[in-house]
Amino acid sequence: MSKQELSSAKARNESAKRNRRIKAAVQWVLAIIVVLIIVFPIYWMLVSSVKSQEEILLAVPTLWPREFHFENYINVLNRGNFAKYYWNTAVMTAGILISQVVTGIFAAYGFSKGKFRGQNVCFIIVLGALMIPLQVTFIPLYIMMANWGLSDTFLGLILPEAVSPYYIFMLRQTFMAIDDSYVEAARMDGLGRVGIITKILAPMCKSTLFTVTLVTFTNGWNSYFWPKIIARGEKRRVLTIGLAQLQNTFAGNETMNNHEIMAGAVLAVVPVIILFFIFQKYMLTGYSKAAMK
Amino acid sequence: MKEKRMNPRKVSAVKDFICVVPVLIFLAIFTYYPIAELFRISFTDWNLLKDTWQYVGFKNWQWLFNGSGTRYLWNSLRVTVLYSIGELTVTIVGGMIFALIFNRMNKAFSAMRAIVFMPKYVAMSSAAVVFLWILNTDTGILNYLLSLVGISAVDWLGDRNTALISVLMLTGWRCIGYGMMVYLSAMMGISADYYEAASLDGASSFQKFVSITLPMLSPTTLFLFVTTFISSMKVFQSVDILTQGGPYRSTEVFVYNIYRYAMVDFRMDRAATVAIFFFVLLLLVTVATMKISNGRITYDS
Amino acid sequence: MRKKAALVLAAAMVVGMTAGCSGGGSTGKAAVNNADTAAENAGGAADTPAEEVSYEVTEPITITWWHALEEQYSDTVTEIVNDFNSSQDLITVEAEYVGSYSDVNEALVAAHAAGNGLPAITVANTPYVAEYGAGGLTEDLTPYIEASGYDIEDFGDGMVAAAQYDGKQVSLPFLISTQILFYNKDMVDAEGITLPSTWDEMDAFMEAATVKAADGSTERYATIIPGWDQWYFETFYLNQGVNIINEDQVTTDLDGETAVAIAGKLKEWCDNGYTYWTGTADDASSNMRSNFISGKALSVVHTTSLYNTYVDQCDFEIGMAWLPGGETKNQEIGGCVLLIPSKNDQATKNAAWQFMQYLCSKDVNMKWAEGTGYMPTRKSVLETEEGQAFLEQKPAFQAIFDNLDLINPRIQHSAWSQLSNIWKNAMAEMILENGDVQESMEQMSLEINDILSDS
Repeated sequence: MSKQELSSAKARNESAKRNRRIKAAVQWVLAIIVVLIIVFPIYWMLVSSVKSQEEILLAVPTLWPREFHFENYINVLNRGNFAKYYWNTAVMTAGILISQVVTGIFAAYGFSKGKFRGQNVCFIIVLGALMIPLQVTFIPLYIMMANWGLSDTFLGLILPEAVSPYYIFMLRQTFMAIDDSYVEAARMDGLGRVGIITKILAPMCKSTLFTVTLVTFTNGWNSYFWPKIIARGEKRRVLTIGLAQLQNTFAGNETMNNHEIMAGAVLAVVPVIILFFIFQKYMLTGYSKAAMK
Repeated sequence: MKEKRMNPRKVSAVKDFICVVPVLIFLAIFTYYPIAELFRISFTDWNLLKDTWQYVGFKNWQWLFNGSGTRYLWNSLRVTVLYSIGELTVTIVGGMIFALIFNRMNKAFSAMRAIVFMPKYVAMSSAAVVFLWILNTDTGILNYLLSLVGISAVDWLGDRNTALISVLMLTGWRCIGYGMMVYLSAMMGISADYYEAASLDGASSFQKFVSITLPMLSPTTLFLFVTTFISSMKVFQSVDILTQGGPYRSTEVFVYNIYRYAMVDFRMDRAATVAIFFFVLLLLVTVATMKISNGRITYDS
Repeated sequence: MRKKAALVLAAAMVVGMTAGCSGGGSTGKAAVNNADTAAENAGGAADTPAEEVSYEVTEPITITWWHALEEQYSDTVTEIVNDFNSSQDLITVEAEYVGSYSDVNEALVAAHAAGNGLPAITVANTPYVAEYGAGGLTEDLTPYIEASGYDIEDFGDGMVAAAQYDGKQVSLPFLISTQILFYNKDMVDAEGITLPSTWDEMDAFMEAATVKAADGSTERYATIIPGWDQWYFETFYLNQGVNIINEDQVTTDLDGETAVAIAGKLKEWCDNGYTYWTGTADDASSNMRSNFISGKALSVVHTTSLYNTYVDQCDFEIGMAWLPGGETKNQEIGGCVLLIPSKNDQATKNAAWQFMQYLCSKDVNMKWAEGTGYMPTRKSVLETEEGQAFLEQKPAFQAIFDNLDLINPRIQHSAWSQLSNIWKNAMAEMILENGDVQESMEQMSLEINDILSDS
């Protein structure tokens, strides 16, 4: 290699390095801008929730509260009845979660490791349900529930969501990936179906199971459409509906209590956001897992 | 069973079947039966305010396709399609751009990715009331920021030209991180060999992106397209909180249209008729997208 | 066995899917009776002798009261409910804020259809009385009134009529208001502006009372007419002889010449900058109020119930003027009545009746009348020195006391809420999006005719 060639290679190397550094700088700048924009609504919700009513209506908004009014939260919990909404949401979510997990695991087992005539037809019935959302069937469902006396009850909130074709589908895919020999071996050891599911399959798919369950939890916690239809009264109102209601009451015709509405908004998201940060790893893959299948 | 001494294979099959029975019964009652009911109701004149109803033949269908319901049917169809296009663009194009920006593997970037993805987990109702507050005409911070650069106040939610855009802002905020994550995990699956080979051929970064990244991501794009399209057609909550379908039905998406007939006007007959139309539409879209996805895409195995 | 099980399931699913199609059977309580069976039921209900029913409350009971009274009334609500609960031992009332009047309407109809989750007693906006009466949602209060010798004669005649359906007393007047023109008395006096007393004088008033800047933009609106509720502008039509619902009950006159002309005027004033159309958004009302309070509007059309709110918030004197009329100068009752859902059990109804009597009593009524802008409902107030004393406290109410006989019940039709939604949306779209008046009114009337004839 001649001297010239060497130096030009060096130069090329230099310029590539410079390019890479520029690229990194651009990425950093853009990323920070994006993050600031994305974070802003959440930041704004938090600061607005501790401002006073006067401060929130100032012509020039303050980026940092002059005084902290944590009593906004107390007001919302008492007047807006948020404590009750919390309880209702928790019970509803737990109900949906438990029933989806239990029915889902067994069905997924039946469809992946089981063998029976009509298996494919049955699975198509499950998949077909994916194409019939609540947004289509809510009218007859609402009437059914009303006839059974289930409007404004926990059972009414939970029943239509108690089985999730999505959950079954995801778990079935995961169970399919496990070699049948494990199941056979367990069977030889005298394990029944419940044993195989709880001792073999579930532990082997722990992370998928956990991820899908987390998604189910957040979907339940954040659900809005069906609760809005079935729990119209105050008795079984959930957080999401209660917050929309608060918006109508407080920002409606006569009062502009946006600081308290923001406090309510914070209260409604806190459990899920805490979960998000604790189980970030699972939450991040939750949706992309679905994407890869 | 013991007495009959059934073949153990058969016993096993029955037990396997029992595992899926609860689910099947459930879906029969809560998913398939309501669809049949929906058809029945669409042939009645059932108004929830009244004590009685009777069958009226195709009256509701006539109302829907050749009556006062037609105009709003097409309106909601148009609004829904516009909304879907918006959500698709944000998720796919925005998601792709974000994936390129955040495609850097270190702790800081991983934290930033988590933040960008987080809105997906913020309950829509919380996000919607925050956006209501940000978009407020008189006291919202967005109009304040715009006033700093000399743009006069915009009535974001009250003007039919901006109402749907406002709803899409909220959607975009919640969905763009999801598109990003899906693309990023797909990008990591692309073998580095391709890029090295291209580098040896002297390809620029842009060329590499167009000739390697994009084609390799096509299954992911298709996946995003199908799932986002179908879920965007079912949008309700953001519209319900932000605009209630207004101003003058300019954001009245399909589900809101059905909801209004059923739960505001209490015309179950009309609501059921529109719901069936919506159901058929969903089926067609699903089948069509599945047809497209079969064959067109090159998988890298 | 395997085959059988699969077959059974398949059969079950087919049955499940087709059962609904096979006939018009009853779906149970949800108001879904086929025409024949419902007729039978109605016959059966009519046979039930009313003599046996006791209207006394004998055992402790907790009942729910649905209301639509927002934040600013919550202290009064709490006080009144506590007073009632401590005044006797048997009944405990729990007040529940349900939302706006239309929220209450939606929740009530849904609960009635479901047959559970009903409140013992609820408020209802005045135009819904007919819907509820026709749908059998409300309990006929006549036997209760007779049994307890309740003095219904003391209510103003128009108010009693507004609470009736088909001659039956299905509700009682509770918080009653009417439309009124609130004006900035300081400005009107200082500038010597004449308020319009007829629709024809409106043009002159609008022009005279508007203040424009040099660049043609409006500095002060002459008046603002709310567009979020058709109640505020419907009297203009009624007083010029427009039949919002024709006598045949299935068509509207809103595409007639007069109606189109009125709509055209409203639009013209907006186009000229004399006023603006509020639209139907959630914050339309608070925006309108802040315009008036800050002096950016000389007057606003609003409900009398907000009188105290305005007095508290404005640093000028508030005047109230009767709305300009046409052939007639009528206005309509607003606010809410109280009713007892018919599907409650008798014990709940009896308790509700006790609470209803209390809520409608003169003392409670006067608490509202003094603390807010709702009107006294009693003749024994309106026509006596008590009324004079009230007027001394609130002289602006003279405009209402002078015209008491002109306050009419609302238009009653079972499709009214649908009609009003179509109307207010069409008005907003026409004015704000600069639509063609004739065309908009015709299109709107087509839709209204459709829902009227098909309700």
